[in-house]
Amino acid sequence: MPALVAGIHAKAMRRVARKAAKRFALAWMAGSSPAMTATLFLSIAIAPPVSAAEAFVTAQGADALSIVDLAKMETVATLPIGGKPAGIAVSRDGARAFVTSPEGKFLTIVDAVTRKIEKRIPVEGGPLGVAASPDGKRVYVADLYGRRLVEIDLASGAQRSVGVGAMASGVAVAPDGKIIVVADRDDNALSLIDAATFSRVGTIPVGKHPFGVTVDASSARAYSANVESDDVSIVDLRARKVIATLKCGSRPYTVALAKGRIFVANQHGDSVSVFDAETLAPLDTLKVGEYPEGLAASGDGARVYVANWFSNELWALDAETLKVLGKAETGDGPRAFGAFIRDAD
Amino acid sequence: MRKGSANIAVTRRLFLGAAAALASFLPITALAAHGASPLKVVETTIVDAPPEKVWAVVSDFARADWLPGVARVEASGDDVPDQARRRLVMADGGAIEELLTKRDAERMMLGLHREGDDVKRLPATNYTALITLRPAEGGKTEVEWKARFYRGHPTNDPPPELNDDVALVAVTKLQRAYLAALKAKVEQR
Repeated sequence: MPALVAGIHAKAMRRVARKAAKRFALAWMAGSSPAMTATLFLSIAIAPPVSAAEAFVTAQGADALSIVDLAKMETVATLPIGGKPAGIAVSRDGARAFVTSPEGKFLTIVDAVTRKIEKRIPVEGGPLGVAASPDGKRVYVADLYGRRLVEIDLASGAQRSVGVGAMASGVAVAPDGKIIVVADRDDNALSLIDAATFSRVGTIPVGKHPFGVTVDASSARAYSANVESDDVSIVDLRARKVIATLKCGSRPYTVALAKGRIFVANQHGDSVSVFDAETLAPLDTLKVGEYPEGLAASGDGARVYVANWFSNELWALDAETLKVLGKAETGDGPRAFGAFIRDAD
Repeated sequence: MRKGSANIAVTRRLFLGAAAALASFLPITALAAHGASPLKVVETTIVDAPPEKVWAVVSDFARADWLPGVARVEASGDDVPDQARRRLVMADGGAIEELLTKRDAERMMLGLHREGDDVKRLPATNYTALITLRPAEGGKTEVEWKARFYRGHPTNDPPPELNDDVALVAVTKLQRAYLAALKAKVEQR
């Protein structure tokens, strides 16, 4: 519970700060005194450089990581990764990005601030889905071919693994850090792993071929995008069962949550389905680029970003108005499979 | 040395022939298993005809007998995405099944997915194509044929004959042949 309270507190603080900034900007635009304008410029000059929110997009065809400035909607850096990078997890504090290379059989740790490669850690099999523990101390990697989830202790480098189902794909850690959810694609099920004991405590049958998994902010529900049954399974993590199934577009791949809404990227539909997270009513289907894959929300939930594999673009969507806000060109074959958004400092 | 490798090739062909004979008794199932790294091939050509004329041929999913090597087409299902299917009966006796996944007349885009993999015919799996027409100079049409697929071997450490490079070469060749056939079909009139 304290974590939840802290979260709400931080959110409220951010809201207050945003309001103040908006008020200031409005006053300035309305024709404020030269002195006030000077103060604004001065404060900009003195303040340390504030980095914009960024997207860390794995460009599998380009064998690289495209870093997209989300204020400009522009790729500002390209990091060669190798081994056909696919999975991505940016740590909650934004310090690091973890990238899986299933063909190269390794995990790359990127310093997200300096944009330099820190380390490359061999992971046997086919490392694909990846997620970091909320404290950033451990990384969980799904081995697509080895029926296992690998835990890497970043301080010691020690690895251990726990058995999961066939073709383990997406991985998500509940924000409370207690449960890890793995999509066992070819078993049509989710595995639940207790993070403390690192043991498999449950399997939940879902739709056909679950690929991406997402857990909500309160760690109560998990969502799986089921590629072959064209639906999303909503799982109650306490009851450990499916409580609802949402029919979406053709070949859903990933799920993101923002503004009390559920967003689903439909690969063959070239679209994003939107549902009300409370009533589960379908709200809209948004046309996006070609073959949307990775989908993630900004930290404040205002925007949802989608990587389009065929058209090599990252699109920004307004989570409230559901309008397209911008597009950025990425390296070839953007997958961005995981938590690929790094919020502004 | 050369003789040796030729012998191996013959042996492999015999083996594949036996596998094909065996496979023909099995029902066609969508081999869903595929790996972690989709591949992409993008090929384009210019057709000397206006986009509407090219679109009339491309969008007629049920009558794609202009595709190279196709003897006849057996269409089934309503002629809408995710329902329309076509079975390309090949001149060599084999068959390819495809599902229409997208038909956007406004943007002139057609999508299809090969149902079931046959790595003897094409050393690739889970083949999806997106065909897009764009107006080009002088009333011509640029046709783009993009494909998404995986190598023939579904998991890690592929044998050399089913690796990424082999799949890329084969699909590139296939799409060039598709585009040449489309160009010939449209321009002959």
